[in-house]
Amino acid sequence: MTKDDRFRTLYQKYYRRVVRFYTRSFHLTEEDAEELAQDAFLRFYQAMDEYRGDAEWAFFETIARNVAYNRIRSQKTAKRSAKLVEIDDPEFTHEPAAPAEPDYAQREEEARRNKRLHDAIASLPTGQRECIQLRLDDFQYDEIAKFLGLSLDAVKSRLRDAKKILRARLGDEQTLPEDEE
Amino acid sequence: MTTKLEWQAANRELMAEERRRLGDPPTAEEVLAFTRGELGPEENARIREKLVAYPELVRTMTAEFPTEGAAPGDSDYLSDDEFAKHWASLKKRMPDAGGARVLQFWPAFGSIAAALAVVFGTLFWQARSELTKPRIPLDQQVLLPDDQRGAGAVGTVLAAQGETFLLIVPMINEPEFNNYRLEIVDVLANPPRRRWSSEPMPRRANDSFPILVSRKFLTPGKYQVVLYGVSGARQEQLSGYTLRVPPQ
Repeated sequence: MTKDDRFRTLYQKYYRRVVRFYTRSFHLTEEDAEELAQDAFLRFYQAMDEYRGDAEWAFFETIARNVAYNRIRSQKTAKRSAKLVEIDDPEFTHEPAAPAEPDYAQREEEARRNKRLHDAIASLPTGQRECIQLRLDDFQYDEIAKFLGLSLDAVKSRLRDAKKILRARLGDEQTLPEDEE
Repeated sequence: MTTKLEWQAANRELMAEERRRLGDPPTAEEVLAFTRGELGPEENARIREKLVAYPELVRTMTAEFPTEGAAPGDSDYLSDDEFAKHWASLKKRMPDAGGARVLQFWPAFGSIAAALAVVFGTLFWQARSELTKPRIPLDQQVLLPDDQRGAGAVGTVLAAQGETFLLIVPMINEPEFNNYRLEIVDVLANPPRRRWSSEPMPRRANDSFPILVSRKFLTPGKYQVVLYGVSGARQEQLSGYTLRVPPQ
């Protein structure tokens, strides 16, 4: 099978699934996801001659993840240097939107609660804090384990320990809601 | 009872603080080294800390990747016609698409090219001699880091006079690295193009780096001088200094 034949086979079988990987995982538009997928396939095609292994799809996966990483990284870097304020940018959530009926006392109370939670997370030991932060960002246990290079049990154990500390620090009323598991 | 949304809001705020403290996310090369376990413990912890502050980037590493392809007949399978369209578009984007055609013409233009090589060789030699002559820069221009400039300012406008001038790149509150490196990037090129890059150099006593620049090198346009900190294999972008060169 020639290089072009191998490429065509992979492209036809996987193109739409790679586009879906980009749209679902990174909330990209269909158009952006297609652009990234084509970019990834193009880089793959150009690198096929240099690849000597027999796991071409794993090789493609590395390229595809790398393409996504660079795209998102450049957006983040541009945003940081441009100092743009987006209305839904989490960096600006400390400016609460004005409530329908402004209630200064209520807003003060919310800000105080937010600070207590923020400080409680920040004060956790690094390993536990990283697990809690990723979990709060809706990462699954296995994703956290994969990223941190830990076993699933180790992740669960760190989360349990973190919750214990938070409970002791904040009281039962303010501890994290239990996971569905 | 505290809701999950409240916890998430507090967490987002904490991550935003971390991003401000830690700076830009790691480069793709750093992440590759991280995932392959090629980093030492300290470097590993530094990259992990940064990535946690950029969870969207962590997702590029952990999101489930398709392992099974579609079979012919599946709705996900790209038909031959669809592939042909995609392939035509991909071919256009390949940098060596026209390479073979140029090579076919080469024999016919061989003698002309040889003559041109002699002419350009002579010009190059003259230019090199000119460039190596001692010269005194007539003027200097101090640049200001982009994040130190007031809101709305779009960069320093080059006002230095003369055929050559000094660009002074001050380091303001920059962290300690073994060495530093500078680049000049043409930001109006699409994509932005690196025009020049320095060798790594140690921090100077006066916390600034002078660059001797020829006016011919900086044609009218918009550039960014970028300062990097370099320690071993680690390299971090520290500051950018935007410079606009007006038409003369």
